[in-house]
Amino acid sequence: MRARDLVQQVPTVHGSDPVTRAVSLMSQEKLPGLIVVDDKGRPRHVLPGTQVLRMAVLHAYQGDTALARTIDEEHADNFWTELGHRTVTDCVAAPGQKAVTVTEDATLLEMATLMAKVHSPVLPVVDGKGVLLGVVTLTRLLSTLALESAS
Amino acid sequence: MSTVVPFLAIAIFAVAFFFIATEKIDKVKVVLVASGVMALTGLIPGSEVFFSEHEGIDWNVIFLLLGMMIIVGVIRQTGLFEFLGIWAAKRSRGRPYRLMVMLMLITAVASPILDNVTIIMLVVPVTIVVCNRLHIPAQPYLIAEILASNIGGAATLIGDPPNIIIANRAGLSFNDFLVHMAPIVVIVFVLFVLLTYVLFRKEFRYNAEHVEAVMALQEGRAIKDKPLLIRCLIILAFVIFAFAMPFITVNPSVIALLGGGVMALVSGMDAEAIVGEVEWSTLVFFAGLFVMVSGLVHTGVITAIGDWAVSVVGDNYFVAATTLLFGSAVLGAFFDNIPYAATMAPIVEGLTDGISDPRTEGGMWWAFALGADFGGNGTAVAASANVVGISLAGRAGHPISFWQFTRYGIIVTIFTTLIAWAYVYLRYFA
Repeated sequence: MRARDLVQQVPTVHGSDPVTRAVSLMSQEKLPGLIVVDDKGRPRHVLPGTQVLRMAVLHAYQGDTALARTIDEEHADNFWTELGHRTVTDCVAAPGQKAVTVTEDATLLEMATLMAKVHSPVLPVVDGKGVLLGVVTLTRLLSTLALESAS
Repeated sequence: MSTVVPFLAIAIFAVAFFFIATEKIDKVKVVLVASGVMALTGLIPGSEVFFSEHEGIDWNVIFLLLGMMIIVGVIRQTGLFEFLGIWAAKRSRGRPYRLMVMLMLITAVASPILDNVTIIMLVVPVTIVVCNRLHIPAQPYLIAEILASNIGGAATLIGDPPNIIIANRAGLSFNDFLVHMAPIVVIVFVLFVLLTYVLFRKEFRYNAEHVEAVMALQEGRAIKDKPLLIRCLIILAFVIFAFAMPFITVNPSVIALLGGGVMALVSGMDAEAIVGEVEWSTLVFFAGLFVMVSGLVHTGVITAIGDWAVSVVGDNYFVAATTLLFGSAVLGAFFDNIPYAATMAPIVEGLTDGISDPRTEGGMWWAFALGADFGGNGTAVAASANVVGISLAGRAGHPISFWQFTRYGIIVTIFTTLIAWAYVYLRYFA
């Protein structure tokens, strides 16, 4: 079984989109993560769900749980409103890091190894020019594994 | 040695320095390649480069930094700075100048003991949260904190990386710094606090209606593990005590490493997590930098510059100290003051070799240290704390442009360097 057999279409976001759009897209579509693409449709960043959530947390709190603890309940409940109009590019954790992708011929083992290595429940599948064809999700991969073993 | 060799060393050094200064390539990669090329071309004594203090890597500096990074790495987990920052903000009740002074005080008191970059990484987020609550721009407070950290760091041997480099090159002790640097730093800091009122007065905003939002912050919750905090502070006190005790004759790096080890032990943190707190890239940068400088020393470039400086200065050491102070402030402002100090230290050593009067010799080293440290405030890129603080501010939605920082930085650098100049004259040359 190869990546081409598991690939599925998902909505993507651009670096110029507001973080609030990215968060609401993920929540409405029940996605495990998001792919940020450039103008040519090539994956720029792969963001697991927790990293999309991280973008919604004001940078001052990120990595500083002691500071997050000092915030009173009323403000803590509305933490995401402090973001304003910040974009995905403004908030992405490692802007210079290359997106990890696979091609259509990637095997199950290859994809499982990569997902585990980069802690991502979503892997972008790209064509020869690096353009996004779709994604393989953790759920899809796991259900395939279960089906394979059952058969 | 062929006459071409020194020029080859200068060429490699100059190209590397260009890339470090312009940040076109990551500085760690630059020093690794440049030092490797120097080793390959025989510009450095290959067999001694890892073992010679003066013509190789100064491990005392690197291990002192490593030990202090571990100590700081554990202390930052305690929530102490978050507690102090919010406590200060509540005490100020949103009054802008009072808030600024308290934040500067916390930064300046901590920076002689702990690494400036870490302090900035801890104080900046608290400041941003408080300013967001007060609906005021955070930039004046952040700039003032960064300037205060560079001033405070000058006070001790461990406060600022140029001091660590200078101390090891000149054979100066922790107490030497306390006796010679701390008094002038205290004076400079007090005058700087007064200056900030003039500098930032037009940007102070007082929003009484938002003060309640600051009072709602719960600083007590920042400290999750009080016993850990107490243990850490006790160990830190022991480390500083050990630095200062004349009967403890081991190099400060050994004390820092032991302190770091004990701190790691009592913290109960994972070894992996503690290792993760160490900025390995900074340590590699220092090592590579030392190798590059050793290329200049080994090929006689540093001696030649030193001899030239001696011939120019003659016996007019006050002029030399003045040039060193202002020259270091200017160069330290445009380049990162760490590579500047590493390159300049052997030159100053050559210059002071012929001085028989210890007071005059000391005056030269202190002029150098004060210039390099205070020069760190000169521009947005002059010290690591500036770069880190400005980057954090930008990511949190309070961008500080190069010129916004630099226009305050230049004034503060000129102001502090002039006071330092008067001090150097009165104490060492009058």
